[in-house]
Amino acid sequence: MRLRGVGKRHRPGGPWVLRGVDAELPEAAVLRAEGANGSGKSTLLRLLAGIDAPSAGRITGRPRPTAYVPERFPATLPFTAAGYLTHQARTRGLRRGAAERAAGEWLERLGAGGHARTPMAELSKGGGQKVAVAQALLAAPRLLVLDEAWTGLDVAARAELDRAVAERVADGATVVYVDHDPRRLAGFVHTLLRVAGTEVAAVPGPARDGAAPAAPGAGTAGRVAVTVTGPPGATWPPVPPGASAPEAGPDGALRLTVPAAHSDALLRALLAARPPWHVRAVEPLPVPDPAAGADPAGGARP
Amino acid sequence: MTALVRYQLALLLRAQRWLPPLLLYVAALGVGVQVGRPVLDSLGFAAAVLLPVAAWLVRVCVTGEPEAARHCAAAALGPGRTHLAGVLAALTASAVLGAAGTGVVALVSDAHATDGSTPVPLGPAVGAGLLAALACALSGTAVGVLCNRPLVHGTGWAVSATVSAVTLALVAAGSPANAAVGGLVTASREGSVPAPWLPLALSAGAAALAAAVACALSSRRR
Repeated sequence: MRLRGVGKRHRPGGPWVLRGVDAELPEAAVLRAEGANGSGKSTLLRLLAGIDAPSAGRITGRPRPTAYVPERFPATLPFTAAGYLTHQARTRGLRRGAAERAAGEWLERLGAGGHARTPMAELSKGGGQKVAVAQALLAAPRLLVLDEAWTGLDVAARAELDRAVAERVADGATVVYVDHDPRRLAGFVHTLLRVAGTEVAAVPGPARDGAAPAAPGAGTAGRVAVTVTGPPGATWPPVPPGASAPEAGPDGALRLTVPAAHSDALLRALLAARPPWHVRAVEPLPVPDPAAGADPAGGARP
Repeated sequence: MTALVRYQLALLLRAQRWLPPLLLYVAALGVGVQVGRPVLDSLGFAAAVLLPVAAWLVRVCVTGEPEAARHCAAAALGPGRTHLAGVLAALTASAVLGAAGTGVVALVSDAHATDGSTPVPLGPAVGAGLLAALACALSGTAVGVLCNRPLVHGTGWAVSATVSAVTLALVAAGSPANAAVGGLVTASREGSVPAPWLPLALSAGAAALAAAVACALSSRRR
C-alpha cells in the first residue's frame, strides 16, 4: 500500500489537516502512528482505512478486506452484541452459519461470550469496545486500522487483541495503530508514522533495526522457544512480530524464539503452511533478569 | 450488498425511527382519503403523500447509524456502498408503505370516475396507483438523498431543504411526481386509467443520479 502526495482538508478551501504525505505500508508489518493530540493521527487512520478519501494525492494498493476499530463504540445500536456482529459478518460475505459462529467465537476470545445476547445499550464501555474489536476481526482483515482500540478493554482483552494483531501480521496483514500507551506493541513496530503539523514522517521502527524489543511480548513476560523440522523444500512462513531468526540445530531442526504472547500465532503459521512444518518442541524460556536488560534471543525478524 | 441493505433495514426497524414518517403517512391518508370517493383521485392523493414520507425515511436511514459504527462498515465495504445501502433500505420501506397504502385506498374507494357514473376498472386503477406511488417514492428518495448527509449538514438546513424540495417536486410543472399524481387526477375526471410509466422512469433516473452523487461524495464529506 502506497501513499503519494496525500493531503486532507475537511472542506474545500479549508485548512489542510495533512499535506504531501508519502509513505509505504508493507505487508506483514505493524505501523504505529504517533503525534500530539489533534495532530491528525485519526484523520490519517481514516484515510488509510478508506473511510475518508484524500483531498489530494493518491492511495494505491490498499489490502482488502480492510477493517477499522474506533476509539469509542456507540451503545445506541438497536442490536444484541451477537446480533450486530452476525449482521456485520454477513455484510462481509460470510454465510449465516459461519457469521453466527464467527461472532460467537470472537466474543468468546475477547471474554465477552456471556454478553452475546445482551443488548448493546446495556453493555459497559469496555463491553462495547469488545464488540468494536470483534467486528474488525470477523473477516480476517489484510489491513487492520486501530484507533486507540485498546482503550476501555480489560487486561485480558488487551492481551487478546495483541495476540490477534500478531496473528494478522503472521498472516501477512498490515496493521496500523494509534495508542496512548508507548509500550503498546513496542518492539514490533516496523515503521513509525510521526504526525506533526500537516506532515507525516515515516521512521523505521524497532522491529526493523534489529534491536531487541523494548518490551518483549508487549506486556506478557517471557519468550517461548519453538523447535521445528521442515519438509524438504519447505518455505519459511511469515512469522509473528518479535520472532527471532531461526537457528539451525542438530539433525536439521530449526529453533527460534517468540514472545510468549505470540507463540500461538507462530504455531498456527507453521502448521498452516503448505507443506506444514513439524513442531518438535515448545518450551518456555526463563524470563531474563530485568537488571541485565538484555534479550538473549534478540528481537530481529528473519 | 443484500446483507448490507438487510442490516440497514434491521437498523431502521429496530430503532423504531420509522414511526414518525409512518404516522405522517397514516394521518395524511386518514385526513385526505374518504370512504366512497373516486378511486383514482384518492390514489393520486396517496401517491403525493408518499413523497415527503419517502424523503423522511431516507433521512432516518442515512443519519440513523452512529458515526463510529458507520466508519467500521465504511472501512470494510467502502463509504459509497454503505451509504447506498441506507438509501436502498429507505426506498424499500417507502415502496412497502406505498403498496400497502394503495391497497387500502383501493379497498375503501369507489370504482367510478369523478362524475360518479363512469365505471373505472379497479385492477388497472390499482396498477396505475402502484406505478404513481413508486414514482413518488423514487422522487421522494431523490429529494431525501440530496437534502441530507453528505450533501446537506445540520438538522435545520436538511429539514428546510427537504420541505422546499418536496413542495417543488409536488407542484412544479415538469416534475415526474407532479406528472404521476396529476395524471391520476386528470384520468379520474376523464374516466380513463393512466399508465404513468414515463414519470416512473424519470423518477427512477432522478433517484439513481442523486444516489450516485451522494455516494461519490460520501468519502469526501462527512
